[in-house]
Amino acid sequence: MIKLSNYIILFILLIIGVIFKDSIHISTNLLSLFGSKDAIEKISIADNLGYSKEMLIAVKGFDKESKTKVQEISSKLEKIQNILFVQSSIVPSSEIKAYYEKNYSILSNFTDTPLSSSLIQTKLQELYDEQLNNIFYTPVDKNDPLKLFEFDKNNNLNMSHKGSYITLGDYGYLIRVSTDVSASQMDKAKKLYTDVQNLLNDYENVTSFAPFYYTVENSTKIKDDLSWIIILSSLILLMVYYLLIKNIKLLSHTLVALMSSMLVAGYASMILFANFNALSLAFGMSITAVSIDYLLHYHFHNFYKSKKSIDKNVLYGYITTVIAFGIFSFIPIALISQISFFAVVSLSFAYLLFTFVFPHLDIDEYTQNKDLIHNNKKVKAYIFSILSILLFAYSALNINFDNDIKNLDYQNKKLLETQSMFDSFNKSKLSPVIVQAKTSAKLIDNLHILKNNSKNSYSLANFVKSKSFCQQRKKQLQNYDFKRLNKEINIKASKIGFRDDYFKDAYTFLDELPKCEIKNFDMLKQFSLSTYKDKDSYYSIALVEDTDIANKFDFISIISAKEIFAKVAQQMYKDLLLYASIVIGSIFILLILSVKGKILYALNYIIFPLSVTLAILVSYTDLNIMHIFSLIILMAIGIDYGIYMSNTQKPNNTMLAIKYSILSTFAAFGVLIFSTIVALNSIGVVISIGICAIFILIKVMK
Amino acid sequence: MFKISIIIMVLSLSIMAKNFNFTELRYSDAIGKTIELQGQITFSKDGLSILYPKSKRALKYFDDTLLYELNNEVVELDFMQQQYMIQYFEILILLHNGDESSLGSEFDINKKQEVIVLTPKGTLKNYINKIELFKENKLLEYVKLYLNNNDSIMITIHDKVK
Repeated sequence: MIKLSNYIILFILLIIGVIFKDSIHISTNLLSLFGSKDAIEKISIADNLGYSKEMLIAVKGFDKESKTKVQEISSKLEKIQNILFVQSSIVPSSEIKAYYEKNYSILSNFTDTPLSSSLIQTKLQELYDEQLNNIFYTPVDKNDPLKLFEFDKNNNLNMSHKGSYITLGDYGYLIRVSTDVSASQMDKAKKLYTDVQNLLNDYENVTSFAPFYYTVENSTKIKDDLSWIIILSSLILLMVYYLLIKNIKLLSHTLVALMSSMLVAGYASMILFANFNALSLAFGMSITAVSIDYLLHYHFHNFYKSKKSIDKNVLYGYITTVIAFGIFSFIPIALISQISFFAVVSLSFAYLLFTFVFPHLDIDEYTQNKDLIHNNKKVKAYIFSILSILLFAYSALNINFDNDIKNLDYQNKKLLETQSMFDSFNKSKLSPVIVQAKTSAKLIDNLHILKNNSKNSYSLANFVKSKSFCQQRKKQLQNYDFKRLNKEINIKASKIGFRDDYFKDAYTFLDELPKCEIKNFDMLKQFSLSTYKDKDSYYSIALVEDTDIANKFDFISIISAKEIFAKVAQQMYKDLLLYASIVIGSIFILLILSVKGKILYALNYIIFPLSVTLAILVSYTDLNIMHIFSLIILMAIGIDYGIYMSNTQKPNNTMLAIKYSILSTFAAFGVLIFSTIVALNSIGVVISIGICAIFILIKVMK
Repeated sequence: MFKISIIIMVLSLSIMAKNFNFTELRYSDAIGKTIELQGQITFSKDGLSILYPKSKRALKYFDDTLLYELNNEVVELDFMQQQYMIQYFEILILLHNGDESSLGSEFDINKKQEVIVLTPKGTLKNYINKIELFKENKLLEYVKLYLNNNDSIMITIHDKVK
């Protein structure tokens, strides 16, 4: 029975998983790993406001054929599910027209000068003559024949146009499509993407782009990429465990133990973190593979056949690694704290299994091949320490950070080019911000404050007046004698030749003035403008030229993922530096305790791989968050090897264990170097360079 | 489909000629009078132009740009006036092209004897009640626009300009 204990543990854990399967929730929101809680909340508000749900379709050229395409495509798009609104013309919708009509007296410019009788006569006469002589058809405004109100619809629009058609700069016509699909909704995004592509395939010279295109196109590429990396990784692991160790029983028990450790860590992480992320899970699982070096060390030193209950080197290695990850689990960066917590639990469980369960599994003894390793070490430890310090200095002088989270994604060149084509032809270079207020009226006030400070901004303020302006205008209109004006107009107009009573309703629209608080802005969705209300506040999006100016106001938040990340990146790197210093300090103390006089020797296993990797990285690229995190993993690997190599009584066996461990680490992390996804490739590069450096140390440091 | 085909056939027959003399009868509800204008209308690949020879005025709409010429000199129009004219010209071009799907996407189409009635479906209905097309001997005789403010514009096409 005890021989099956390893399998029983896994079985119990799987049963627990099945029982609680409904409670298992893994988040896929990448931003939640990097952005602060507040920033993520803002992104979610922006999502509710329709930001990033817009699709753009450009039809090249301005000829008749292009125009026909615009009309055809627009009408076909309207029939597609998940498309809310299609706009190819600046002609206002019926809803906007109704809104303009209702609020005409407030929205338009008003000439507040009493008109003399003779001026009224002259103006009406001109209007009459215009009807007879003007070759342009000009409708008579029976509500405002004297043109006291002037409404400029043109300067409100944030779009270039030719005639009534919206254009994309000099490229061609543009169709703007509002959808209810955001980049995180994979199924909906895939369906809409397919529907739109099927429609556009019938047309030449038509290009489309939407943020959710990345979700659809990249997910396929990422899946393909990961599939073959998993195959490659599995092959290398099989090679390590079977072809080299030639022990199928050990292989099966190891895989079972790793699975159990991952499950325990997964359950614990999901209990502790409300939004435990899939990326953290993937990383955590890879880190679990690091625990193989405990097993290999035990196996090659025949720990399982000895009577010892504990191997001090493995214990020191385990404690040091767990303390390092334990400290990192408190860092206020979700990705790193989640992975670190997962690593602490999984490594601890794996350590317990390898140390206390495996001795009872009846694993075959390892027989040493004495000719296997030749000791040809030549270089003294302090040389590597000096070299490491020099490499750190070189890195510090040349280091640059890449704050753009998008650069971590799969670099979909075709889609990036399409996006940049849309950006380059779009002459309006405006960035979105969220404006917040406690009440709807205050929200409009804030939008006006922003508009006054950022002249070319585009927001609801372009279409809605502030409450105070509205009240002032109403007062102005109430003081104007429109009744007298109406009477005078009707008398004079009849005499001039207008039909009797044609102007009987002139200025009567001012009898009932609109309310100064507009609660529903749905009609402005045509212009991609809306409001959103949560428990405490009202929100709207404004587009501004300079986010720095906008950022000065406390009611404004930046919502571009790029800027949010750039903003938090600085704090994040500060946090990382602080925690890394604590971790390095702790490791240093633990190393002194565990390796005593060989501190420099053991420390080199941490600092040499780190410095070599860092120096190579800074020579050809900017450092991203994944590089940094991989450096931390590299450090965790180095701790164990340093302790094993410093304290070993049987250097050949230890070196062999480390070599196999390095191979398994390469299988878990190093193969990611072949990935086309920047985030994964970054990990692969760091781990591959790092383990090469460790290999050099094993071979030549004495 | 049958109705649309008729329109296209009718328009195609008449539009083989690109340059026409026309009479425009414009009824203004405000003054209760109809004004008559004579002119020439020319459809080309990229737009159209209308010339009123008597008043030496011309309106040219090419590549979505509207130009107003008085005595051969360009005069600037205000934005609203431009938008009105552009919409009006867009309708004329649409009718001239007689493109099946474009017409169908903008209008409900009904045929009452010799008259084909187009009722706007989209934003056009904010300005236009309906458009009548009248044919005689399979040739387009007139186009009449009924506007929402009770004004109307009737363009009668006479002949091809030699």
